[in-house]
Amino acid sequence: MKEIAIYGKGGIGKSTLSANLSAALALAGRRVLQIGCDPKHDSTRLLTHGQKLTTALDYMRQTQPLEYKIEDILLHGFAAVGCVEAGGPKPGVGCAGRGIISTFELLNQFKLKERYDTIVYDVLGDVVCGGFAVPIRREYADTIFVVTSGEFMALYAANNILRGIRNYDGENKRIAGILYNRRNIEGEDERVARFARAVGLPIRADIPRSDAFTRAERDHMTVMEQNCDGKLTRLFVQLAQELIGGSALYAAQPLSDEDLEIVVLGRGESTEREREIYVAPAPPAPESEMETRCAAALPVISLTDPNRYLSKNVVRSEPLHGCAFNGALSVSIHIRDAVILAHAPQSCAYLAYQSISSTGRRALFERGALLPASLTPQLECTEMGEAEVVFGGMDKLEDKLHELKRRRPRAIIVVSSCPAGIIGDDIDQVRWLAQADLPIITIKADGNMAGDYLQGMLMAYTELARQIIRRDQNVVPDTVNIIFEKFVVTNTEHNFQIINEFLRRLGVHVNCRFLCATTYDQLADFCSAQLNLLAYKDYTGKLLADFFTREYGAAFFDQAFPIGFAATEAWLRGLAGFFGRPEAAEEMIAEQKDRYVRETATLKPVLSGKKLMIITYNHELDWLLQAAYDAGIEVVKIGVLNFSQDEGFRTSLTMPLPVEENYDRDQRAGDLARYQPDILLTNYASSIAGEVFLADTIPMCPEAGFYAGLNMMRRWARLLQLNVKGEWTRDEQLFKQYYAG
Amino acid sequence: MMSSCLSNITPDSLSGVIFALEGVGRSVVLLNGPTGCKFYHAAVSDNQTIRQFEFDPLNYPERWYFGQPRVPCTYLAGGDYIYGSRDKLEEVLAFIEATVPCDLVCIVNAPGAALIGDDLRGIAAEIIRNKPVVVMETPGFSSDICSGYERATIELFKQIPVVEAARSRPATVNLLGISIYHKYYAGDSAELQRLLGLCGITVNCVLCADCTLDSVRRAPQAALNIVIHPEYGAKTAYYLQEHYGTPCYIAAPPVGFAATEQWMSDICARLNREIAPFTQDSERARARSYAHISRINSLTGLPKGVSFSVQGTYAELYAYTAFLVRYFGMIPECLSVLNARCDFAKRALEALLDEFGITQALGRDIFASTSELVFASGNTLAQLKLRQRIFSGIEISLPSLGYIDVIPKTHQGIQGALMLTEQVINGLLFL
Repeated sequence: MKEIAIYGKGGIGKSTLSANLSAALALAGRRVLQIGCDPKHDSTRLLTHGQKLTTALDYMRQTQPLEYKIEDILLHGFAAVGCVEAGGPKPGVGCAGRGIISTFELLNQFKLKERYDTIVYDVLGDVVCGGFAVPIRREYADTIFVVTSGEFMALYAANNILRGIRNYDGENKRIAGILYNRRNIEGEDERVARFARAVGLPIRADIPRSDAFTRAERDHMTVMEQNCDGKLTRLFVQLAQELIGGSALYAAQPLSDEDLEIVVLGRGESTEREREIYVAPAPPAPESEMETRCAAALPVISLTDPNRYLSKNVVRSEPLHGCAFNGALSVSIHIRDAVILAHAPQSCAYLAYQSISSTGRRALFERGALLPASLTPQLECTEMGEAEVVFGGMDKLEDKLHELKRRRPRAIIVVSSCPAGIIGDDIDQVRWLAQADLPIITIKADGNMAGDYLQGMLMAYTELARQIIRRDQNVVPDTVNIIFEKFVVTNTEHNFQIINEFLRRLGVHVNCRFLCATTYDQLADFCSAQLNLLAYKDYTGKLLADFFTREYGAAFFDQAFPIGFAATEAWLRGLAGFFGRPEAAEEMIAEQKDRYVRETATLKPVLSGKKLMIITYNHELDWLLQAAYDAGIEVVKIGVLNFSQDEGFRTSLTMPLPVEENYDRDQRAGDLARYQPDILLTNYASSIAGEVFLADTIPMCPEAGFYAGLNMMRRWARLLQLNVKGEWTRDEQLFKQYYAG
Repeated sequence: MMSSCLSNITPDSLSGVIFALEGVGRSVVLLNGPTGCKFYHAAVSDNQTIRQFEFDPLNYPERWYFGQPRVPCTYLAGGDYIYGSRDKLEEVLAFIEATVPCDLVCIVNAPGAALIGDDLRGIAAEIIRNKPVVVMETPGFSSDICSGYERATIELFKQIPVVEAARSRPATVNLLGISIYHKYYAGDSAELQRLLGLCGITVNCVLCADCTLDSVRRAPQAALNIVIHPEYGAKTAYYLQEHYGTPCYIAAPPVGFAATEQWMSDICARLNREIAPFTQDSERARARSYAHISRINSLTGLPKGVSFSVQGTYAELYAYTAFLVRYFGMIPECLSVLNARCDFAKRALEALLDEFGITQALGRDIFASTSELVFASGNTLAQLKLRQRIFSGIEISLPSLGYIDVIPKTHQGIQGALMLTEQVINGLLFL
């Protein structure tokens, strides 16, 4: 089996040369298959006498997989050469490179190559992306020709092809040489010769510009078949014989851009290879048709847009935690009367669905709580398949939107995934399908191309606000919006009930929960609330407060949902002051104060003097630290871990705190030895829990209200008095023996 | 009121590929893709096949592992889709080669990464020495989880060196078509091995369900390949038959006494083994089950006539329905099909329903169910609870509502029949 790939700039004559070479090989007795790897699918027209083939990609698009028959895409032309065309998407959509991959997978399913002993791949232009490099991967072509003329762009493309080959082969040798297809321009011979010398490749065929090609093409034939130019036919016969006999092969040694200009244009040229061979795989500037096409398909994000709210991962260029697609879906499903459409393969929607629904399942299992948004998110998916990632998915998206509109939701929210973004599907274009009573809102997350999970949340929050909230609302007294409740926790509703009860006793009503278990119209009426309450004043909470303040002139209460006694006391007093009902706050505080003081006093004999070390993702722990301080505990270290969703440890406590940010494993080991804490507190039961007297965990989102800190103190007191680690902790070695690894 | 929109939100072939390869012990499954495609698969793999005893995030580096012990990833982001993932792949593969003890390295492209076509094998070949590498360049786009799983299992055989001495171990079998994504895979595997062992049949490999790489290599030596879930294993069995001449036995999962007895009878006949030890085991279990059902039946007339619904593949629907109808005399209300493309046992199911005149149950929406007993995933059961339905839910597939099984459980084999009997009689609504 010999597999020959022919690369060169678009329009350089690859198809003509490929067809003639295939014909010559076939006439020499080889069983030849020619595969055209070009979206314009005309590689084999001279072998088939102009008869058009159904391309493999069109075929896969139109035919059910179980109905595939190779005869539908394979045609035998002159000298029984098998002909297949990959085909591809129209310019500007899809990913043609992916199309080549899909074609090869289809041909492999048919085991087509087993029927032939020689394969000729005619490949579009440059090696512009991984898809077009498929034929030069080791498992395919074993012999590569580079076609060029003496024009600069052709030589530039030839050099790019060598770069592509070098990326795959390194020093391995697979290039048979250059096929020099003359254009008869001035200085052409010298330029091609200089180039060939510089890259260390032989010119394997010097193909003259000849009317014989034109005449043969006019008759939809190869020169080999028409046999009207003896010199040309001898040339192809000789080339075929050399290939059959086994050609010498060479490694790719591409030039740097500067050296290419020197060699080709002759500026300060040295005929020897006195220059650096190109090494770094730096991306070339777009030149060929396909490069321009691929580049045009990439999403354009303006980093200078002042209205963009960026997550910490994106701002810091950190590895992205989760994807924007998932974050945007997780927020959007809280508009309960909208349908959320994921423009994505099924896997993307499923992964998002799992992250959404897992909270609901746990809440039901643990607490018997039924959370509609989590358990039955109104989530749909376009189920992008092979056809959509090759040809573009806009048609399927539109079809799905028409289907969803028939269900009469209050709105449809479309969110895009990575594959949609990579192939350049522009979901904003479907907004025209909106109706007066059925808005279509788009969030162009493009999977994680826009950023991480938090970035997707921010995009959803801001886009949904901008596209839904009505500004011309009359303010209703004694109403609040609640901003940024966290929903990937099981106590969201419990905390809301606590806060809602506080608000009820203050005579205040909730207008809109942004965004948690709300409706389209509640969000639209956002501006009718008198005041806005942040549930969490972390990185995202502060960004959202900034967003609503800047864009809607919204008034915010300056404290987040209170956690622990002191914070709740201050929150109630502040809010009651705003609404002019201080007595209601004092009444609630008085009801709880005695209990807090009394119970803290009972814990002191056990906890006082104990050393507490904390390693945490939480960036705000006043609720816990105040309670520990009240119980007489000494805080010896607070190691703050890097967390994708927050930064900057915050406290309003006046006592000195031993805080260390960006904490790591080495620091932990040293501090444990140094401080020998009685209590180690982490977000996860740590692997070093056995090294301390008491190890416990911190909830990421503690209970709101007066008692979160006191509840932790009670627990520690019980555990310290019990002084039992549990016999199970001795069995670690048994686990390693029987299960680990 | 809008209808539920969740009909097309099911795991697809990406999950099938990852869970298949995660089912090989001491393997590292590297996801060439973003973290968004990693977290779920890492969590499920870790829950289903526990290989570490703690979650300490500082033990698993931020890059690649992101605090989880399984399914490291290249955390691809925007630029990687344009310029390729080679740099990140080289970095993580070098880390794995230097620091992670394992027998097998698998590299799986996420959907986005599959579009950029990096040369995974070429890159891995430069770095990973002395251990096999399995490469999955295409995860499949929206094809079902079963097809992804089978593509991975077949690639495993294609890409690792296997022991060629085919069928050299008599009375030794492989179990195919069990995935770690099957809720009770560990209990299923243990029970079937126990039953086969009663008749002197040894299981070499439970393919991709916590098997060893060595047992995969030796799979061609087995005398018979037994497929448990046909949609997850039939193609693999045919592949092994074609390439190594190993015959295969394919049936719906052995759920219930009669199905298990038939299953064991067929296998023993194929391998020329004495079935008597198994029969005794089955009869003892039947007797125990009889005693419990008889007591309830004598008081209430139940479980005969109790309505039930099942959500699963055709093979699962057939297996559960045949047991629940024939053994208990229960009546199916909704039999909701998952992964309908895999139609193994469809005809058998239709014939069963036809025999009892209950064909209308097939294909009915599970969310329309008013049955007393519902056999489905935790998600489906939770959604029915949200609809205020009164029923007893019996989980047969993932995702789970959250119950953590310390004792491996099964719905297959003789122990599985007892387990189902227990769940049925405890789930009845007594009047």
